[in-house]
Amino acid sequence: MTDRLPSPAGTLRLRLYVAGDAPNSLTALANLRIALAQLPAHGVDLEIIDVLAQPERGLRDGVLMTPMLVRQAPDPERRILGNLGAAGVLRRVLGVEAAP
Amino acid sequence: MKREQTTRSVDRMPTGIPGFDEIMDGGLPRGGVTVVLGGPGAGKTIFGIQVLAKGATDHHEPGILVGFEESPTRILANTAAFAWGGDRLEAAGVHVIDAQLSQSIEQGGEFDLIGLLAVLTAKAAQIGAKRIVFDGLDVLLAHLGQPALVRREVFRLRDWVHESGFSAIVTAKADAAEARPSTDYDFLQFMADCVVTLHHRVIQGTALRFVRVAKYRGAAHSANELPLTITSSGIEIAANTTIGLEYAASTERISSGIERLDAMLSGGYYRGSSVVITGAPGTARTTLAAAFAESAAARGELTIYVSFDESPDQIVRNVASIGIELGRHIQAGTLRVHSLRAGAESPEAHVARIRSLLRQARPQNLIIDPLSALTQRGVVDDTEGAALQILDFAKSAGITVVSTSLLGSLPLTDQMPLSVATSADIWMHVSYVDQGGERNRAITIIKARGTSHSNQVRELVLTSGGVTLADVYSVGGEVLMGTLRWEKENDARRARAAAQSSAMLREQKAELALAETKARAVALAREQAIREAELQQVRADAAIDVGHRAGEADELLHRRRADPATVPPELDVDVERLS
Repeated sequence: MTDRLPSPAGTLRLRLYVAGDAPNSLTALANLRIALAQLPAHGVDLEIIDVLAQPERGLRDGVLMTPMLVRQAPDPERRILGNLGAAGVLRRVLGVEAAP
Repeated sequence: MKREQTTRSVDRMPTGIPGFDEIMDGGLPRGGVTVVLGGPGAGKTIFGIQVLAKGATDHHEPGILVGFEESPTRILANTAAFAWGGDRLEAAGVHVIDAQLSQSIEQGGEFDLIGLLAVLTAKAAQIGAKRIVFDGLDVLLAHLGQPALVRREVFRLRDWVHESGFSAIVTAKADAAEARPSTDYDFLQFMADCVVTLHHRVIQGTALRFVRVAKYRGAAHSANELPLTITSSGIEIAANTTIGLEYAASTERISSGIERLDAMLSGGYYRGSSVVITGAPGTARTTLAAAFAESAAARGELTIYVSFDESPDQIVRNVASIGIELGRHIQAGTLRVHSLRAGAESPEAHVARIRSLLRQARPQNLIIDPLSALTQRGVVDDTEGAALQILDFAKSAGITVVSTSLLGSLPLTDQMPLSVATSADIWMHVSYVDQGGERNRAITIIKARGTSHSNQVRELVLTSGGVTLADVYSVGGEVLMGTLRWEKENDARRARAAAQSSAMLREQKAELALAETKARAVALAREQAIREAELQQVRADAAIDVGHRAGEADELLHRRRADPATVPPELDVDVERLS
């Protein structure tokens, strides 16, 4: 992996695309929040987009499958599809260590 | 129960794929899910997009293509060659959505299609879409991984289609040879309202495509494999389809292009009939076809000449040597020559191409030279199907078809595309007859439906001035041709001349005799008149005599009485002279 870890001071800009309260979407949201709880609250910019309410956003942003987490910053953009339950994925993307 | 209501109805959605709607009794299930399975290159994507394109242009039903496997750019580029494809799609009302899961997307757990379906609902409402194609769904399903999840999402998609009322096509890869989805996706077939499989096989070196309707819920359907072809019009199914107009059998006669042949056929070919000219190589089958083309084009009728393995220039040059001028008709636009390579594609592909030619141009006459190009390497089960389809199709459109077919000497063998010849309205055979060290061409009308025709064999004579037929002489059961015919003709001419002159002589003699008789009659009439005049004279003289004689008798008597003793005065004179 050549991913650069975000510097602690850098802004982490995230978008989570969900489909209402579909099980996978809720699970993803939960997994994300748990992971983010381990990061300093400042410096994390999270936008949650419900494609059921805003389908045009999904179309415009090229996000059709849900749930989908997009890390817009830092570069490069990364996209993670799924409920974020897979081990290690969130840690790699968010640059956080696993909870002890 | 809502679902059952929607699936129960077998409302059809016309696909616009020529031949397919006919065998499907109108099309795919409207408001249902059709799964199209096929190996790589079998035409799944084209099938889906064509249904969308035709729906948008012909039925005002905009559509959405959701591509899981290819980018919209690539999909548009791949269809650009089709009359309805490429950039025309978007303009016609076909919207392509990129739903690829690119390599850069990491998978981090379970996901579902809920978001996708929500986006599609919105997009469909925005453009008024009625038809949706999920292209390459298997690619997405592979990302889902577990069979239970795959099943859940497929059913979710199916339910969404049924509830929203869209007509959906789902394409998925299947084992190329078996045209069956890998067993992981067997349930795709169970959940679908209709299953269409596309195959791709190589038979005798030619790639052939087939379509089969494996399932059609709530409707009877044929499960047979049918040949499928891809032409510039897109997919066509080589079913026995017609343009859809029933033409009454025409009683109009059109010239075969050879005057004496018309005479043998009581006036020519019937318009809209099919004519097959069989013969060995070099027997001037092409010439006969070209003669028809020339005369048809000269009448101003649009004529399409499909030639296999000969270029337009070649044909024009070859027949020009025998006085058939096709070039100017080509320039005038009444004759169009299309040269195809027989081996380049399957017979079914050729059939599809010719059919689309006919559909577009709507000609009055079609020439296929030779039709046997379509029968030689056909699908194993259906060697003559392709050729027969053309004849049927043309007939239904009222197009007169003159086709040639390679065929050696009679009697017929098994290699002969017999049903083609027997299904034709007119079957003529040109053969070589070896005789007296020459090869001559003999033409026989084997059959001509609805036409009293000559049973005689004629010699086909090609000269730089054109094509004609010559009478043939049969001597001792053998037909004479060429030089022998010429000799026979000379003999006949001499005999005729002799007979003619002797007749003239007899006539002259008779005339002379008559003249003589007449002259004699005139002479006799004159003689008669003379005799009559004489007779009158005689009678008149006789009457005078009677009167005179009475007086003379008296005088005589008197004289005789007075002078019986006296000397007649004459004597007196004499006495005096003597004295």
